Amino acid sequence: MKKKRRLQNDEMALQITSMADIFTILLVFLLKSFATSAVSITPEKGMMIPQAFLAGSTEEALKVQISETTVSVEGNPVTTLTTFKFPTSDLQTNGTSKTLSAGLEKERKRQLIIAQANPSVKVDSRIIIVADQRAPYSTIKSVLASAAVNGYTDFKLAVVKGD
Amino acid sequence: MSAGVSSGSGARGDTSQDFELNIASIIDCFTVLITFMLASASFISIGVLDAGISAGGSTANAAKPPSVTLSILLKPDKDIEVKISGKTNLTVKLPAKNKDWDFDALTAHLAADKAKWSDLAGVTLTAENDVQYKEVVRSMETIRKTFPAVLLGGF
Repeated sequence: MKKKRRLQNDEMALQITSMADIFTILLVFLLKSFATSAVSITPEKGMMIPQAFLAGSTEEALKVQISETTVSVEGNPVTTLTTFKFPTSDLQTNGTSKTLSAGLEKERKRQLIIAQANPSVKVDSRIIIVADQRAPYSTIKSVLASAAVNGYTDFKLAVVKGD
Repeated sequence: MSAGVSSGSGARGDTSQDFELNIASIIDCFTVLITFMLASASFISIGVLDAGISAGGSTANAAKPPSVTLSILLKPDKDIEVKISGKTNLTVKLPAKNKDWDFDALTAHLAADKAKWSDLAGVTLTAENDVQYKEVVRSMETIRKTFPAVLLGGF
């Protein structure tokens, strides 16, 4: 009887010191590897960005994303593609896309208004092209031509950095 | 985890103050933090390849244009066409090797051109319509080993 009571009073203390140690190490590791880049590029679901080993670091610039179905400017879809290709009705004789040019022009005007209001801000010619690796060069050419027409001549191709 | 403070033995016997530090709340904080960081962490690193004005360098080049211009055309059948125009006009075709681009031959050709034309600073890369973007980036990376300034052309 006495023995039974003693057994009931025994409390099981969970040793969580080691767990705290593991969590601390995990937290330090994650904080160290946390990307603190000023530029955030979030590719669309299913997009495959090409890999390159000699890539430089990213800078803040206007982002144009080319996926299988859309071309987006700063995350806003402006053109619908059919298996990476612009509809023929959207393409102009100089190879530019009407809808994409309109989207880029809008961004350009916004930049100009900011530059006029604030002399320290300069109009930027940089543009980051985030394209799917399966896209044909004809589509890339149309995007580059549309960008160049609107004053974005400093092309930067987003790639996944190799090991 | 326990901590203890001992004030020595007094008249009333052992006066040590043992207490249990409650780290359950710390663990809670850590769990939330780790979950948040795992959810927001990016395990791929994105970089950029310069293919426009800045690919030529941050400072403006001399007003004198180079004696020759070099352009490379990628074809869907994996053939490469290297075209030199200016003082010399020459087109060299590098056929596919093992159903892939012959990048070794291209690198050797570009190195020879660089040695021959010392004022040649950049290359214009272009591709036919059906060539995939992945192949353009691959070629660009190969060319950049010889000529760091690679401009995209064809539009």
